[in-house]
Amino acid sequence: MTPDHRGAPGPGSPTAPPGPAGPPPATGPDRVPWQRIAVDVPGLEFEARPPSQYAFDFPDSECEGWSTDRLTLRFASVRGAKHRYYRQPRQDAVRAAVHEATGSIVFAVADGVSSAAESHQGAVEACRAAVERILHLLDRGAQRLDGADVAAHAAERLRELARWRLGVALPQAAEVARLYATTLVAGAVRTAGDVLEAELFRVGDSGAWLLDRAGGGYRPLFGGKAVPGTPLVSNAVSPLPLVPDRPETAVGRLAEPWTLLVGTDGFGDPLGEGDGRVGELFARQLASPPPPLWLGHVLDFTRETFDDDRTLLAVWPRAEGAR
Amino acid sequence: MAETRGVLLPAYVVADESGSMAPYQRELADGVASLCEGLRAEPMVAAKLRLAVLGFSDDVQVRLAVADMRTETAVPRLVIRGVTNYRAVFEDLLQRIPGDVKWLCGEGYRVHRPVVFLLSDGQPTDGSSWHAPHAELTDRDRTPTAPNIIACGIGDARARTMVDVATRPEFAFLAKSGTDVGRAISEFFHSLTMSLVASGHALNSAHPQLVVNRPDQFTMAIDEVGR
Repeated sequence: MTPDHRGAPGPGSPTAPPGPAGPPPATGPDRVPWQRIAVDVPGLEFEARPPSQYAFDFPDSECEGWSTDRLTLRFASVRGAKHRYYRQPRQDAVRAAVHEATGSIVFAVADGVSSAAESHQGAVEACRAAVERILHLLDRGAQRLDGADVAAHAAERLRELARWRLGVALPQAAEVARLYATTLVAGAVRTAGDVLEAELFRVGDSGAWLLDRAGGGYRPLFGGKAVPGTPLVSNAVSPLPLVPDRPETAVGRLAEPWTLLVGTDGFGDPLGEGDGRVGELFARQLASPPPPLWLGHVLDFTRETFDDDRTLLAVWPRAEGAR
Repeated sequence: MAETRGVLLPAYVVADESGSMAPYQRELADGVASLCEGLRAEPMVAAKLRLAVLGFSDDVQVRLAVADMRTETAVPRLVIRGVTNYRAVFEDLLQRIPGDVKWLCGEGYRVHRPVVFLLSDGQPTDGSSWHAPHAELTDRDRTPTAPNIIACGIGDARARTMVDVATRPEFAFLAKSGTDVGRAISEFFHSLTMSLVASGHALNSAHPQLVVNRPDQFTMAIDEVGR
């Protein structure tokens, strides 16, 4: 997704790469646990409380990392301070898979709507359904991913869950939403010869960006939250199971020095336009693919008022020499 | 644009200080104190709110300028005086809210649509002269930072007036007939605290919403109007 594909000017001249990232050395006598990274004013520090007893299948944090010949993937998802304090499970979810026939990476990120009773389950199921459907579409040789088709498949999964949960044949959309409403951003990074191409769509306000690892800037792939004509922001979203006729999409090449980032607003809100301390932190830490556990640690940074769950998925084009 | 330090909800409590509230000064003071304590007990929520307390009668007096309740130690004090001038309220908010939003943005915050909780115990003494500034304040084309207004009437306040003041019919409440005014004031502040805490929880989530709890002993004013 190089700049010419977005119809916008590219970044300025590449600057020197940021300083070293990743975890501190594990050698030496002072093996202290990883301290949470504080950005500006930290939020409250406290021991996390357990989620309700039947939310045991939704762990506080999860992370993943692997590479194909052409691409490197990392993701992490961490429970926000608000949910850790008020005994709620993490309502974000993320899933990724490799499409073995083509070497493409398929992914989905979801942010369960907090007012929905089982949104943590809705988010996971929406991700599963989306990844399964995209793998299926790639099997069929689809030239372009049909975001509406994938979203409809995910919405149908939520309806199936509601059928089972409520014991009714045809649950109303409002009933499904009350239980499982969630945002979804999903897509694939596909390989076509020497070209890497990213395709994404979204339902709701989760985001995606291109990180310029040479210059440290972030290029949003979807619109922001500003209310037009006002200095105010709005997080108002129309989440699944509602499926727009034409979900917002982004398509383009992924090439050096760009890294594709996909995240929930727990990451996007503190990132803002990426020109502050949070942007600087992630530009430094994502200069090269970090260990998956370290990505989770970085994503769990503390800054007051930012207490939502956070999920971030990143895809790097893999350097020729590293294959 | 500078980095976002947080996303805040500016909340304004606008309390009637007219002479008819004199018998209930203790309940007013206790209510304001319980609101401040309630927010201090929820620091994670209070971090995302900025609270102002305004008293109104002939004019508007600032009892607490937009403040972070985690660090604010003084309890604002309402002062009984004068009549019930609604025009003064809406003219004041028309200037105050855009200024506060601009200041908060300048401090590096992003801002949700502000919310006003208005408590009044009587009919406006300025007739209908408040309609024009109220209309301008709540018109999102003319006032981009137009607030949501929750109106709670007690004593002699009328349902129709509360519905006209509130920005949505379901945001207008009236104390039930025969309810002790002092108790209604206490319930107003209790409900206000609960609403702010619940709204604070819902901010910065995938589906934020302004949560408005109906105070106990109050009915929705639209029901009264419809009778």
